[in-house]
Amino acid sequence: MKTLLIIPAYNEEENILNTCRKIENFSDKLDYIVINDGSTDNTENILKENNINHIKLVHNLGIGGAVQTGYKYAYENDYDIAIQFDGDGQHDVTYVDKISEFLINGQADMVIGTRYLDKKESEFQSTFIRRMGANIITFFIKLFCGKKITDPTSGFRAANKKVIEEFAKSYPTEYPEPESTVSLLVNKYEIKEVPVSMNEREGGTSSLTSKFWKPADYMIKVVLAIIIDSISFRRKGGKR
Amino acid sequence: MQTTLKIALIVILLIYLFCISKSVKRKNMRINYLIFWAIIGVILIIALIAPNFVENISNSLGFGLPINMIFCFAIFVILYLIFDLTRLITKQENKNILLIQEISMLKKRVEELEKIEGE
Repeated sequence: MKTLLIIPAYNEEENILNTCRKIENFSDKLDYIVINDGSTDNTENILKENNINHIKLVHNLGIGGAVQTGYKYAYENDYDIAIQFDGDGQHDVTYVDKISEFLINGQADMVIGTRYLDKKESEFQSTFIRRMGANIITFFIKLFCGKKITDPTSGFRAANKKVIEEFAKSYPTEYPEPESTVSLLVNKYEIKEVPVSMNEREGGTSSLTSKFWKPADYMIKVVLAIIIDSISFRRKGGKR
Repeated sequence: MQTTLKIALIVILLIYLFCISKSVKRKNMRINYLIFWAIIGVILIIALIAPNFVENISNSLGFGLPINMIFCFAIFVILYLIFDLTRLITKQENKNILLIQEISMLKKRVEELEKIEGE
């Protein structure tokens, strides 16, 4: 099974090298590609100097467009499994085997690494507000797609070949995590979740800047996006 | 209508038509849009030359005042235009994303090939 880690990175000069080294130390059979999403800091130089396999986007696309580039790369290079993996040190590479297990034995098309499934598993459960937001998104996905996804905003997820092809062709760019989940669910793909633990960010700042209206604004738009997507992504006959 | 107002409107209209003709010569606008703006120009000219004509239409359509009809139509046209533009922007955005992704991947491929060549 050829496995690729897709690591989107925007201004991650502090973390990116660390993340890549950890992956290399974990397994030398694991391929990875860093998608440098038009970083304005030193990220590109670090990637070049250390000879890290990467694509530099010629313009900033945002997380959705960057991740899709990774899926396109995985599709063109014929990978069996693609795993989205954050460049900021939040995700733990030792979970890679666990997260791809359901894909290898064919029980799922996509596996999401979930923070909330097991209380003991994850020391970093994130803030109350975030958790509440995730619950609301979970509720609406359940309502419109009929499946409970505990952690719909998790960026740690693994996809099999069919889903790689699907995402290479079309991937939502506005609210990528919940929207892509919906797009798979309404087309009858099987999604499973496995508990993982996530770390606090090792450096840099989160992309969700905490202006007080931002979370509410985000929630309303995500919920509307879920409703619209559950209609617009549905194809006759489901899976391609 | 007061003569001074009429003259002012005619001047504005002339400037408008001049802008359109400039665009035709410079080819900096798609013909589709040019036709749209030209039709609007023609409608404005008719309204200015023959106000009675506008009044007749508005009466027969049942508007209380001709100005109501003009506002009503103007708002519809503007709404349609903005709707069309947001659709166009989305289309362009998707094309841009695709281009950025493909160019970036090509660049990586070229660099890889150059490296092999150099060895």
